[in-house]
Amino acid sequence: MKIAYYAFAVGLLLCLCGTAQSVDLVINPDVSQEAVSRNTLRSIFSMRMTRWPDGTPIHVFVMGDKTNLHADFSKQILGVFPHQLRRAWNRQIYSGMGQAPTKVESEAEMREQVEKTPGAIGYLSKENINERVRTISVE
Amino acid sequence: MSVYGPSLSNSARAVACLITLLCQPGMAPWAAELPGLDKTFQVHGFLTQGYVKTTENSFFGDSEDGSLEFRELGINASHRLTPAIMASAQLLSRRAGEMYDGSLDLDFAQLDYAFQMDEWNRAGIILGRSKNPLGLYNDTRDVAATRPGIFMPQAIYWDRVRNMVLSTDGGQVYGDSQFGNHLFRLQLFTGKTPIDENVENTYLGAGFDPKLDQDGITVGGRLLYEWDGGRLKLALSSASLTLEGGSNVLPTGTIDIDYRVASAQYNSGPWSLTSEYMQEPLDYSGFGGYMEPADTTVDGYYLQGSYRLREDWELLARYEESHYDKHDKDGTKSSARLGPAPHNFFSKVWTLGLLWEPTEHLMLRTEFSQVEGTIFLSVLENPRPSLNEPNWNLFSILVSYSF
Repeated sequence: MKIAYYAFAVGLLLCLCGTAQSVDLVINPDVSQEAVSRNTLRSIFSMRMTRWPDGTPIHVFVMGDKTNLHADFSKQILGVFPHQLRRAWNRQIYSGMGQAPTKVESEAEMREQVEKTPGAIGYLSKENINERVRTISVE
Repeated sequence: MSVYGPSLSNSARAVACLITLLCQPGMAPWAAELPGLDKTFQVHGFLTQGYVKTTENSFFGDSEDGSLEFRELGINASHRLTPAIMASAQLLSRRAGEMYDGSLDLDFAQLDYAFQMDEWNRAGIILGRSKNPLGLYNDTRDVAATRPGIFMPQAIYWDRVRNMVLSTDGGQVYGDSQFGNHLFRLQLFTGKTPIDENVENTYLGAGFDPKLDQDGITVGGRLLYEWDGGRLKLALSSASLTLEGGSNVLPTGTIDIDYRVASAQYNSGPWSLTSEYMQEPLDYSGFGGYMEPADTTVDGYYLQGSYRLREDWELLARYEESHYDKHDKDGTKSSARLGPAPHNFFSKVWTLGLLWEPTEHLMLRTEFSQVEGTIFLSVLENPRPSLNEPNWNLFSILVSYSF
């Protein structure tokens, strides 16, 4: 019986840990930026800041609103809920003040797009990062 | 009847035209970015259909029998020529009972040049027809995916005088500054405002062929403060304009209108709390002195709370109140001065609603409102104020697809 309790406790712990996926910000290797502040990141992902300090156009890539990775990125790194981010994009798109980010269907596509698009920024889970994209830290 | 340039008299034609555009293979959502244009050309749109049922009075159509005359279709295109320059335009067809007939309008068509952009500051200029940034929602008030409910809170965003504050043909300057966690954004606009018959009937009374044109230009703006990426938002907005005209029974005169809104919103996790207060002083001059009793300061406010139940369900509750005269909350003095019964000069509305967003493109809403007073009802839909019922209920459903 005791073993069953332990198994349950370990299972619960694994479940809780499993929901907190770790997500990293990735950029195209040619972007010179070394680190980015959370406020700048919010400007970029709300599509208001459209070029890097060196003048390169910024291209933002995101996963679907309902994916765990997007939810983790929104909540943990930007500090907003996915539906709030969606409304901010909609407010810009339908008033002519901004454009929407480009949606990708998988992490493989995210990695490929960030690798080949100059000025690209996106996010990946740790296990999907390789040398062809660059991670960037959030200050 | 449309004030937005060439108008298709037949709303069905406009709707068919927009649906055809929306269904073009190249413009479907999965192809919203055209190849070869390097992700800088985008097409977006929305289709919204509402159902409105009221126990008494007419709102968005013949709602006592259940109305489907609430439909919004829009399509836009934008092209970011350089990171600093963007051109964009949107076509809109809006059917709202007798208030708007669904004819095709040019909603905005603008060129935006951000001459200053870095990590902390942004400043630019917009030329063309642009949406007026007033309150938290005015610039996207016709887009269900951005509205705080099925209908805009009528205490601030009147549908019966929507065009008075909707857009401006002219210019806008804007500037953003970020200081740590604090963002300040100032937008100033000026130009001509398109006036329509809803505005004419509201300010001069229906039935005597009122005609109003703008005298001079509209000047307005908004100062917005955001803390911690929008956790707290505070805004002050204002627009001023003068209308000139008369009707079959009135000599000519002018109406000076100021529209002022104070807004506050707090977002914390699944909770969102919003409140806005509006004041609109009206000053009639001329008209042979007949309109002077109508001089007043209209005001109104709402308080809305919403709670995200799960990632795709949201509950909302809202209370709103409007007064024709801010010093006469129950309408008795206005009634004695102007004639119609007191309930025509105020409204108090309680609303409960449920939102479901099964996908990021689709939303369904249902709401129930208990209403006392009839101030926000359109005279085009309720031509005899003496027949308006003071206590009524409103039930509505809305489906919207946007991409």
